[in-house]
Amino acid sequence: MSNAENDTRPITPDEPLGQVLSGYAVPQLPPDFADRVVSATNDRAARLPTSRPATSRWRTVRRVGTGVLVAGALGTAAAATGVLEDLGVDLPSPQQVWSRITGNDPAPDPASTSAPAANVAPAPSGSAPVVIEGSIDTTEELEEAFRRVDEVRSTRSENRRGRVDRRIDEFIENRRAQGLPAPTPEEEQQFRERLGEFRERREDRVEGRLEERREDLRERLESGEKLTREDLLLNERGEAGERPMRRRVQRWRDMSPEQRQQRIERLRERREQQLDRQGEGLADESADALVDAPNAPIDQPE
Amino acid sequence: MTNVSGPDRESRADDTALVARIAVRDEFAFREAIGAHAAPLHRIAYRMTGDAHEAEDIAQEAMLRLWDHAPKLEARRGALNLGAWLTRVAMNLALDRLRVRKRMSEAEVPERADEEALADAALEASEAEQAARALVQTLPERQRAAIVLTYYEKLPNADAARVLDMKLKAFESLLHRARAALREAFAAGEGGEIGRGGAA
Repeated sequence: MSNAENDTRPITPDEPLGQVLSGYAVPQLPPDFADRVVSATNDRAARLPTSRPATSRWRTVRRVGTGVLVAGALGTAAAATGVLEDLGVDLPSPQQVWSRITGNDPAPDPASTSAPAANVAPAPSGSAPVVIEGSIDTTEELEEAFRRVDEVRSTRSENRRGRVDRRIDEFIENRRAQGLPAPTPEEEQQFRERLGEFRERREDRVEGRLEERREDLRERLESGEKLTREDLLLNERGEAGERPMRRRVQRWRDMSPEQRQQRIERLRERREQQLDRQGEGLADESADALVDAPNAPIDQPE
Repeated sequence: MTNVSGPDRESRADDTALVARIAVRDEFAFREAIGAHAAPLHRIAYRMTGDAHEAEDIAQEAMLRLWDHAPKLEARRGALNLGAWLTRVAMNLALDRLRVRKRMSEAEVPERADEEALADAALEASEAEQAARALVQTLPERQRAAIVLTYYEKLPNADAARVLDMKLKAFESLLHRARAALREAFAAGEGGEIGRGGAA
């Protein structure tokens, strides 16, 4: 064994060095050591609250992901069980909406309880049924799409009203059955009248907004633009209620002064024609066509 | 001597339970921990510093650190080796004090420390004790720590490396240097004051 190896080998108690080292005795701790330590704990700072565990980024992402999935699952479950329908929230699929607008019957859904596209009432008697194929590029197709939308809307609106009326009736009946104060027939009548007035005001308001958007679509069609499904859906569903207006403003800005004047004249003429039509007794049909809600869905009737 | 690496799973579970009780400020549990661990901590501190009072302070401070950190230790996952944790705390405290002492002193730590700290003890200590103490104190701090942990406390190299927060290879290298330095100091002192104590 070399000197270096000899020096670094473990020290044993038998060797001279070990004997010297073994002489390093340690004094005993004082008997009251534990008491001293325990009493010293009184001088220590109070126990700190448990610190918040550091959250890693991945854990945060996982939580967000889980939250999104759970929210999605709950939403799907709610839609599937009809909870949203009871609450008056309608969730039509884009395919359903488009099929109702165009009249093209997509792949039939056997599980669906909603009316198929074929059930859409035909165009008013006296005119040949309009078939919408592909994008909307004629005024007839556009008006037909509006008509179908309105048809669905009016059905849904009626259903909604019926549901609300039923709930009111149930509420009053339940209160009477429980012996709680219930509105008198006069009060009930008054309430229903107020509700009716509210509905009318709302429909008027919605009608104005919707007509404005439809006017935008008509203008686009007149300017040679083909309307796609997205254009109509966005417009009808009101998801981008502000977008048509923004587009109109932008187009208006892009026009030359002559074009603007021309457009104003055309709009004025069309308004007059509309008024004339209403005066000639076509008002009923037109008025029905105007009833809509900007944010209401436009799929099959219930 | 305490072997901090040896406790089996059961004793580690006991440690965990003990710390949990200390975390809720159970004084009896704390006294239990003091009874089980204070003595080895005091031994380590004494052999590191060579000062009985300082060793007591270090042992006390280590136990108080347990009192302070018990809630955090309890919250840790997995079984706890309380002995190893306390040994590490005590060793760090001892090394800190030696460093402070070194900064305060113009001379090298061992000589100055020995002279100062052992003044009282030297009167009562036997010649053998003095020789051993002087020999150990000739080592630099970390080499001394390696000898204290492995020779006196009988810790396996891996556990001693963990106490000093070192890689095993680095610790073994340190231990080799410590042994060589110790042998060299012993050989130099043989026939002199150091050797006379008990190396005959």
